[in-house]
Amino acid sequence: MLVLVTGGSGSGKSAFAEDRVLSLGKRKRIYIATMFPFDEESHKRIARHRHMRAGKGFETVECYTGLKNVKVPQDSAVLLECMSNLTANEMFQADGAHEETVREILTGVARLKEQARHVVIVTNEIFSEAASYEGETELYQAYLGKINREIAAMADEVTEVVYGIPVYHKRRGFR
Amino acid sequence: MEMIIGGAFQGKSAYAEKKYPDKVWISGASASEEELLKADGIIGFHEYIRREMKAGKDISGLAGILIKKNPQVILVSDEVGYGVVPVDAFDRAYREAVGRICTELASYSSCVVRVVCGIGTVIKDD
Repeated sequence: MLVLVTGGSGSGKSAFAEDRVLSLGKRKRIYIATMFPFDEESHKRIARHRHMRAGKGFETVECYTGLKNVKVPQDSAVLLECMSNLTANEMFQADGAHEETVREILTGVARLKEQARHVVIVTNEIFSEAASYEGETELYQAYLGKINREIAAMADEVTEVVYGIPVYHKRRGFR
Repeated sequence: MEMIIGGAFQGKSAYAEKKYPDKVWISGASASEEELLKADGIIGFHEYIRREMKAGKDISGLAGILIKKNPQVILVSDEVGYGVVPVDAFDRAYREAVGRICTELASYSSCVVRVVCGIGTVIKDD
């Protein structure tokens, strides 16, 4: 099962995604962390997420770039959080895929799907606002938008979390 | 408690006033905390959060206080978390605070309506 969880900032996506993984039964749970701890704010964010996950049986694997090289156990449930960080890392970090970001990440998602029983991916809605961007930021929106669409097309479930409330955009078997 | 949410200029206030013609509405852009805790309905609730944060106040307990002191209130609030992460630290903190506070209030609310192009979609109805 491939599940895509999206939503705005501070909307409860992570809590929903963690619960979704727990609902997939008792199996090995792997958390793929993508936020590179570069300043105090990111350290705080990481600490907050660790605290939320505590006691839920996740083993944490750090992956800032090169998702396709991550090995996870067969039959595990994987939570990848989040695609917006991973995309930025691949685009802007020295060892990232740069202009090959979209292909690199989609290959990584396909590899995860081959290995794990369930993959839950958290991404981010960064596409609705008044400000318009150019250059790198616009390219970032374009890449993440493309990645989100491609994953959604493959996914069994696409859920937008609105202030903690799941709004289901796609649910296999519920149509 | 009920919430009416959505992007800016989507017709949330008109929707709220039509749904609750007898409520007295106050504006989050100018209301005091005392007024907030007594209000029938609050339009522009996100503006209240922004003002308090600009004034350097700690608003982490705001949802809890509202739930305790004004559990029947109707809240109309913008969704502000659907853009690129802002460069400015205050803007980042503000949009996250609106998200966290509204998520806590939505969990308590019996009904949450999201308005897009003037059309309300009920996303929670307990």
